[in-house]
Amino acid sequence: MRDDEPTNNHSQISHPLMNNPAVKDFLTRITQGKGKAEDTAGSVKALATGFSITFKHYLEQQLKLKPTNTIQYPEERREQFPRTRWRHVLTRYDNGLEKCIGCSLCAGACPARCILVEAAENSDENRVSPGERYAAKYEINMLRCIFCGYCQDACPTGAIVLRKDFELASFSRADNLYTKEMLLEPYNASSRVPISVVDKQ
Amino acid sequence: MSDRSLTQTEVSLNPLSSERVNITIDGISLSVPKGENVIEAALNAGIDIPYFCYHPRLSKGDAANCRMCLVEVASTAPDGSVRKMPKPQTACTLPAAEGMIIDTNTEKINKDRKGVLEFLLINHPLDCPVCDRGGECPLQNNTLYYGASASRFTEEKRHYPKAYPLSAQVVLDRERCIQCARCTRFTDDISGDAQLGLLKRGSDVEVGTFAHTSFNSKFSGNVIELCPVGALTSRTYRFKSRPWDLMTQKSICSKCSNGCNIKLDYRMDEVLRVNARLNEDVNEEWTCDRGKFGHDYISSPDRLKSPLMRKDGKFVEVSWHQAYSLLADKLRAAGTNCGAIAGGRTTNESVYLLQKLFREILGSNNLDCRLDSNPLPASDPLFKKSLQTGMGNKIADLEKMKTIMVIGSDLQDEQPILFLRVRKAWRFKGAKVVYVSDHLTTDSTAVSDFASVNLIYQPGSEITVLKDLENALARVLSANTADSEPPAQLNTQPSEATGLSNNDIHLAASLLAKGEITIIAGKSVSQHSQYVELYQSLTNLLASTNSEGNLNIPVHECNSLGTMDMGMLPGSGPGFTKCAGGMGTAEMLQASADGNLQVLWVMGADPVQNFHNNELAVRGIENCPFLVVSELTLTETAKRADLVLPAVSIAEQEGTFTSCEGRVQKLFKAFEPVGSSKPDWLIVAELSAILGAKNLYFTFNDVLQSISKEVPGYEKINPGTIGDQGIFRTVPAAG
Ligand code: SF4
Ligand code: SF4
Ligand code: SF4
Ligand code: SF4
Repeated sequence: MRDDEPTNNHSQISHPLMNNPAVKDFLTRITQGKGKAEDTAGSVKALATGFSITFKHYLEQQLKLKPTNTIQYPEERREQFPRTRWRHVLTRYDNGLEKCIGCSLCAGACPARCILVEAAENSDENRVSPGERYAAKYEINMLRCIFCGYCQDACPTGAIVLRKDFELASFSRADNLYTKEMLLEPYNASSRVPISVVDKQ
Repeated sequence: MSDRSLTQTEVSLNPLSSERVNITIDGISLSVPKGENVIEAALNAGIDIPYFCYHPRLSKGDAANCRMCLVEVASTAPDGSVRKMPKPQTACTLPAAEGMIIDTNTEKINKDRKGVLEFLLINHPLDCPVCDRGGECPLQNNTLYYGASASRFTEEKRHYPKAYPLSAQVVLDRERCIQCARCTRFTDDISGDAQLGLLKRGSDVEVGTFAHTSFNSKFSGNVIELCPVGALTSRTYRFKSRPWDLMTQKSICSKCSNGCNIKLDYRMDEVLRVNARLNEDVNEEWTCDRGKFGHDYISSPDRLKSPLMRKDGKFVEVSWHQAYSLLADKLRAAGTNCGAIAGGRTTNESVYLLQKLFREILGSNNLDCRLDSNPLPASDPLFKKSLQTGMGNKIADLEKMKTIMVIGSDLQDEQPILFLRVRKAWRFKGAKVVYVSDHLTTDSTAVSDFASVNLIYQPGSEITVLKDLENALARVLSANTADSEPPAQLNTQPSEATGLSNNDIHLAASLLAKGEITIIAGKSVSQHSQYVELYQSLTNLLASTNSEGNLNIPVHECNSLGTMDMGMLPGSGPGFTKCAGGMGTAEMLQASADGNLQVLWVMGADPVQNFHNNELAVRGIENCPFLVVSELTLTETAKRADLVLPAVSIAEQEGTFTSCEGRVQKLFKAFEPVGSSKPDWLIVAELSAILGAKNLYFTFNDVLQSISKEVPGYEKINPGTIGDQGIFRTVPAAG
């Protein structure tokens, strides 16, 4: 900084408005603590104009003069569009067997590389899915997932699907590693409607 | 040419005719050797012809069965007129002839390919998502490129129980088999056990072993890679991963001295399978089962993760700093009264630095790497000449021999890749094999199966057998006759002690007389108590054949030869240089048992398990005042150590191995070491630095460059030249 430069920065404000002598005058006045009574009156008027709009809408809502678009989340929830893609679910067949066969095609298709599948072999004593193979480990890193739905597209058995649950916030990054247990559809054999009944309905 | 008549279609395995013919494939004019298969000519020229059953290394005997490589063929008559064959031909059995015009991409051929694939898929389950081949499957690929997009087959497919266990390692899914006969031809042509066959007829054809015995070939793993579909899969790799989840790194097999080039397929720092890597001069594209299925130790849960120090009789984990401090103190206190034993499993770099540490910094010459019972002292000129130099022939040159004599070796077990070369020489190149041993094995394949003559002598009479052979050879050469029947006047009885007939001896001698001969001697020769006499008899025999012949006495562990080259021998420095003598393995163990050796360092060896004199090994190891062992796991020796240093496997380090033929090959690093384990060379380099070494080494390249400068025979080997197929070290004149 040069010695002869003024240390008062107010004179340095360069804005097109400053070319207006009234504005310049006003700003210089109030920043130097020499404001006048009419300076405040202008601000009060501006505030009142703004709040009158708010108040107008408030009355309209209270007196139900216009329909409302706001809902009371989380007490109220909106119906999602049919093809919404949010949280993944690993689905089951009606007899409770897992649809996933641990083929890792979803992981191959995933552009974010956020799926980890480790397969194992079914045995008669421990049958997890139909056929020879099942997913022993299935994890999705939700932080990396971009909800593109490619995994659902790639799945040959329709096991992994993206459904409508969008409430995925959490307090730690680790909580976003969804394990197979978290992803798997709960199964309650007794509450299940047999597939034949569903077909008839 | 050989006297074994080869079928014309096997021609591709033999030197191609020097005569060239002009053919046209898809409008491209080519000049190719006469008789070359059209499929090979096309593939060489970069023209794609799809196939399943064709394989360049297998005979075409019952091939051309998948019908995938159909092409349209026309021939040009001498008058210039072109005549088209009415039906498409299989390119894999079609020898190139002058004026041939081949089309691989006509409308008709495309329709044929679609049809062939439709036939192949009729009984195919198409369970790609659960098939271990999915993602790297020729049937998938060809169907995608050449097949129809949808199936018209609505009938019931053929069904078999899934996952039929052909052996402990190989699993068969008969539904997926397309009957290409690659696996059966492999067992006929390459491994020689002929255990697999196509059973039943028509659409019921299935692969199996005869009488449902176990497929216990020593080379069974190769059929998994050969099978063009997922019919043959590996028990250990089953459902472990999909190809797109795998990472691959080049490596060298650590299971025997042959130095097979392999690929390690790993996922999340765990090696899941081993496949062969092409090296025409070593393993071609094969591995043995030991190499293919034996690398589970790399990702074993027993791997050591940090240094272990013995405190009050128990091991406690300590930091490297503590381990180095203790070891350095002990070594300083011991002065020259210390020694080291390195197994044949450590890299050249590790051994080189280890002997440098002992010779140059500690001033001790007690270094050895031999655990077997060879009676020759390492300073003996004969030891250098015969055992330290490696093989007289290169592996690839074995197939050029006319006569191969294998003596005292279960070759298929000791040297699997040498065995495959010898068998290739016999099967495809017309070589004759003489097998000399004191026993026959029960292995599913052996040299004795195809040897022209088996000399199975009474144990202990080997020197007499060689004398008899030499005499018979002299008689054959002087009579200038190579008939299989001994002429009457030469019919002198051989020594009775050997239990061999005169006929056999004569037959063997007449084969040896044919020239271009090589002898491969196995363990029972190199570890024989009368090794010197045996060696003499073998060289005499070779000398009396009148032709340039070589003797091969291959070493046994993956880096036995390199370890000796690097100077891990008493009285023999790096590159066979002379140096002050010291104690060998047996003397060190004895001294240690008597409490006279202060510190013994065992690197990558397990004397308790593998030293030929077990009683001495146990006494020496248990009584050692301070025993330090660098190892991957707690071996029997490591369990008795005072300090255990965790070393790394072939997958976690760079390094070089010198194979039995003297080929120096590089290990590439796949993933980071487990826990805090370190490569042996780094352990030694860091300790040397603590002990005041002048030369410091920070990377593998530093060490290799130093080896290149200082080890005679390794001058040409440096990080820039070694490549991924390795180069030969030279054998310096014994000093
Ligand atoms: S939605 Fe897309 S990014 Fe997310 S897991 Fe599936 S494939 Fe991967
Ligand atoms: S979810 Fe579907 S695609 Fe993914 S592993 Fe399971 S079966 Fe395969
Ligand atoms: S062999 Fe190939 S085509 Fe057949 S199921 Fe396996 S991956 Fe699919
Ligand atoms: S098992 Fe594989 S290699 Fe053997 S015939 Fe069937 S498809 Fe061919």
